Amino acid sequence: MQRIASTVDVKSHEFRLNQLHNRRLAAELKERQRTVRFNRAERELERLRRQNKLFVRDRIEALLDPETPFLELSTLAANKAYDGEVPGAAQVVGIGIVAGHEVIVHADDASVKSGAWYPLSVKKIVRALDIAIENRLPVVHLCDCAGGFLPLQAEFFADRYYAGRIFRNQSILSKMGVPQVAIAMGHCTAGGAYVPALSDYNIIVEGTGAIFLGGPPVVKAATGETVSVEELGGAHMHTSVSGTSDYFAHSEMHAIAIARDIVAGFNPATKASINRVAPEPPAYDASELYGILPRDPRVQFDMREIIARLVDGSRFHEYQPRYGESLVCGFARLYGYQMGLIANNGALFSDSALKGAHFIQLCDKNRTPLLFLQNITGFMVGREYERRGITKDGAKLIMAVSGASVPKFTVICNRSHGAGTFAMAGRAFDSRFMFSWPQSQISAMGAEQAAGVLTHVKARQLARAGGRLSEQDLAAIREPIVEEYRERSSAYYATSEIWDDGILDPVDTRNALAIVLSASLNTPIEAPRYGVFRM
Amino acid sequence: MNHSFEVDGVAYQLSLSRCQQGYRLRLSNEVIAPIAFSQQSQGRGVLTIAGESEPVRFAIDGDVIHVHIRGRTRILHYRDPLRTLACANNKLHHLIARAPMPGLVVTTSVSPGQAVSAGTPLMKIESMKLETIIRSPRDGVIDRIHFNEGESFEQDAVLVTLSEEGR
Amino acid sequence: MRELPFQTILIANRGEIAVRIIKTLRGLGLRSAIVYHDADAGTPAVAMADTAIAISGRTPIAAYLDIPQIIAAAHKASADALHPGYGFLSENAEFARAVTKAGIAFIGPAPESIELMGDKIRARNFVQRNGFPVAPSAIEEDDPATFTFRARTVGVPLLVKPSAGGGGKGMRIVRDLANLEDAIAQARSEAQRYFGDGRLYIERYVENPRHIEVQVLGDSFGNLVHLFERECSVQRRFQKVIEEAPSPALSGTLQRRICEAAAGIARAAKYQNAGTVEFIYGGGEFYFLEMNTRLQVEHSVTEVITGIDLVAQQIYVAAGRELGFSQSDIISKGHAIEARLYAEAPERGYVPTTGKVLVLEYPDGDGIRIDSGIVQGQQITTAFDPMLAKIIVHSPTRIEAALKAHRAMRELVLLGCETNAHFLTRILRDEAFLSGHVHTGYLEENPHIASGEPESDVSDFLATAALLTRPVRDSADAVPELHAALGSWRN
Repeated sequence: MQRIASTVDVKSHEFRLNQLHNRRLAAELKERQRTVRFNRAERELERLRRQNKLFVRDRIEALLDPETPFLELSTLAANKAYDGEVPGAAQVVGIGIVAGHEVIVHADDASVKSGAWYPLSVKKIVRALDIAIENRLPVVHLCDCAGGFLPLQAEFFADRYYAGRIFRNQSILSKMGVPQVAIAMGHCTAGGAYVPALSDYNIIVEGTGAIFLGGPPVVKAATGETVSVEELGGAHMHTSVSGTSDYFAHSEMHAIAIARDIVAGFNPATKASINRVAPEPPAYDASELYGILPRDPRVQFDMREIIARLVDGSRFHEYQPRYGESLVCGFARLYGYQMGLIANNGALFSDSALKGAHFIQLCDKNRTPLLFLQNITGFMVGREYERRGITKDGAKLIMAVSGASVPKFTVICNRSHGAGTFAMAGRAFDSRFMFSWPQSQISAMGAEQAAGVLTHVKARQLARAGGRLSEQDLAAIREPIVEEYRERSSAYYATSEIWDDGILDPVDTRNALAIVLSASLNTPIEAPRYGVFRM
Repeated sequence: MNHSFEVDGVAYQLSLSRCQQGYRLRLSNEVIAPIAFSQQSQGRGVLTIAGESEPVRFAIDGDVIHVHIRGRTRILHYRDPLRTLACANNKLHHLIARAPMPGLVVTTSVSPGQAVSAGTPLMKIESMKLETIIRSPRDGVIDRIHFNEGESFEQDAVLVTLSEEGR
Repeated sequence: MRELPFQTILIANRGEIAVRIIKTLRGLGLRSAIVYHDADAGTPAVAMADTAIAISGRTPIAAYLDIPQIIAAAHKASADALHPGYGFLSENAEFARAVTKAGIAFIGPAPESIELMGDKIRARNFVQRNGFPVAPSAIEEDDPATFTFRARTVGVPLLVKPSAGGGGKGMRIVRDLANLEDAIAQARSEAQRYFGDGRLYIERYVENPRHIEVQVLGDSFGNLVHLFERECSVQRRFQKVIEEAPSPALSGTLQRRICEAAAGIARAAKYQNAGTVEFIYGGGEFYFLEMNTRLQVEHSVTEVITGIDLVAQQIYVAAGRELGFSQSDIISKGHAIEARLYAEAPERGYVPTTGKVLVLEYPDGDGIRIDSGIVQGQQITTAFDPMLAKIIVHSPTRIEAALKAHRAMRELVLLGCETNAHFLTRILRDEAFLSGHVHTGYLEENPHIASGEPESDVSDFLATAALLTRPVRDSADAVPELHAALGSWRN
């Protein structure tokens, strides 16, 4: 495999300006993540201490094997919702190593609204369990949830992918033979009670842990019965009377030790065998990504320069380098694992779509996982392109992306718009994992373009009502439209809504991909099978 | 979760992980890496820390590891977190009188069924040529006396068990 | 030389001294028999003896103090002589008599000598009467009513000691007369329990005293020689830790005076067999302390510097032979140091330790002698004295001996039971010890030697333990290669 020869001038003025810009974005990301993870009102932390509970981050650190990575997912979920008052959607989810096993950690964050479930909390948990199902990852649930946030129940209760899906997913995991361990570290009320109950193993902490469908106030209201928390659903009762819990723990740390002991006994994952050699670091420094990504998202850049800073030895075997050049396809290795890379170097044309569809089938056939690096404004439009079958060829690419049996991974490096979002393995296409970079934008159309359309529509409406609009009036209409559109196509908005699995600092991308790639191999790779390609 | 060893009554938290040339040991105040241990024969090995080798003699007896390095022998007790954490707030230990050191029973001054209050002498033991009085840790009733006069016992042995009956 | 009148010798002892005696018996072509309590069944002495006879008792110690059982065992083994070793019944005149009465030769002094020297007060009076120096004192039985008063007149510091017994048991130093009565009460209780004799005496305690003792040997023909002195000042709670010969404290003249005094005392007592006259030495003066009418633990340093096998000499004397050498034939050569390996933790106030000997490896090399009473696999209990073995080195000079002893102690490996081995290395490299400036309070005055530096240098041990502990190593090994390489990465 040939090493990519970078043509980036790291001493150029342009590079320096980009670097400054992107480092600022990365720092902002880190700061937002830090705030979401650790900034809590002192009274919340004090309440936890009083209840003899550990902060969720400390629980997770104790659970994980020392000196092992933790890839936190959707850290900034809900950062643009609920007035920013529910950091991380009161949930912590990630992939970590427990007793040598790759697991999904799902933890309620009792320092945020007592761990209450908001609509996005439910979405985040459902997504975590979808990941567990897709990648056959055992789950450790650290339960400490006050119940659903009732004022918003219409947005998380009844629909197919709402709260019921959590329990459905838990049941499916069990059916698949993917074990779950839950620790009741606080109250697990109502729906929350089913999280430990539906886990194959569950542990309850003496004094703080409790499991019940209705807490003492609900029982009092319903039947008039007066009962204490301990009597109703405490550790002693559930481990010796009801059999709802399996293990009695004297403390949270004890419970964590038991959970680790349980996980240690899980069968080792049988990894799908794919082409792998010894890992090699990239030849180019990942931090150069900051200087390569243009500070103006509309400026084109060569995706090979990104690839050179992600993959082993910066080596890239490019496929069809002379055909459909706006889609770069080829093989590279990430921590030794061979992957098929599909990256945008411009809009999609018929030839690039055909090349992509062909390459996907090739990778599928030789069991090579796929990595999509998005910087796509869409498919080329126009009479000539339609006549050449751009829609038909785009459909082929979408068909190939949808049908591929190998694990797919998507990184939105810069822009993701229009049908390009779909054809490049967008969220709807079941990429195993999807990450965004801080400056990326995702929307049906680019902001400027969309604002143009929207302003035009608005102007026409106003024109119909009478008046003519001055340039100034148009600008006044246009400004808020652009502003809102920008806001809603930002990476922060996307991640708030859990359209992705988290925003990555570009330099973290290689490690994050290695972790998810390894996790994805827990699921056997099925033989290729496709629908009908429109020829 | 860290591992814990007790040496001379001091608990040390550590974690061990693999690294390129062996293992990395993280202690509370330092990281030692790479470390490796090659066993040469029964009870004999070489510890290598950052390229420097040291012959080591060792013996493993359950959770107790005896290690001899450079003329010094230390006894390290592995503290299984499951057991340590389970015992951490086990209230039962208040109901037993344990031997503070190994020794032998000189006289027993109580008998089963006898009510005692905290501080009541239970036993006179002899150790290091000196006599020590074992006193009741709390009010209670003598349940069992575990050693006869003249019998010897190890450190931490349960000498007398009390019950809460009759209180 | 005519043949010895003995064929089988019963050893009424255990541990290292039993092994030591068996070695000489083998050299002399004699059969060895030993008595043992079940607690000692796995010890090397029992394995090495030609005959081993089990004895029992309410406690293991009681078994070794049971005269009728031991005499019955001697008959059973057809023993014609008995060696009592040290401790237990070795200084019990009644036992010596019972042995002799049973038609078995007692390898030791006459019962009268044992009685004379076994009673500290009589011994002291005897020595004083014969013109040898003793320390100012008050003896309880002279007039029990005025004992405390007379004790006060001796002045502080003073030492309360049981009239019977030895080995430091029941002794107490009083520096403040306010504590005198408590000390007397405690010493009496212990004396009563250890020796069945609560009588006490008090003597002036010499500050910074050195413990110097002289080995003597007498035969039934009236020949009596000394085999030079030993210095045993490095003690903890009256228990000797390191002994050496010759003493670094004595000039040639003083050495001659003290050795001659010892020989004079023994001669006056018409002493036969091996014995030791102990002195307190301080401020250029020495006082008679006591005489031990038996083989001492530390006899080995004397053997090393003189080349004389004291156990063999004891047997010859008991067999009625005349000493084969005169005083001028005995030459002291080089310097010997003995370090006592105890099952105890000096770092924790010398608490006795227990455990099973999992690994045992002694140093070897020129001039290193090991007198060991233990083997691998043996259980160390608190049933007996905590001494496990003696490491004796011999070198041309004291400093070379100290270095050799230090190296030997570092090379000694005993795993399974905590010992004082490292503590001994700390003494052996301590400046005060190396310069010879020790006294019986040396370890108390330098508590850092006992306490060590508990936390220093633990990391190598933790590293070894971590790599040897299955749950620790397994959990490290369980981490997939990729994740181990990523380490504690966080996004």
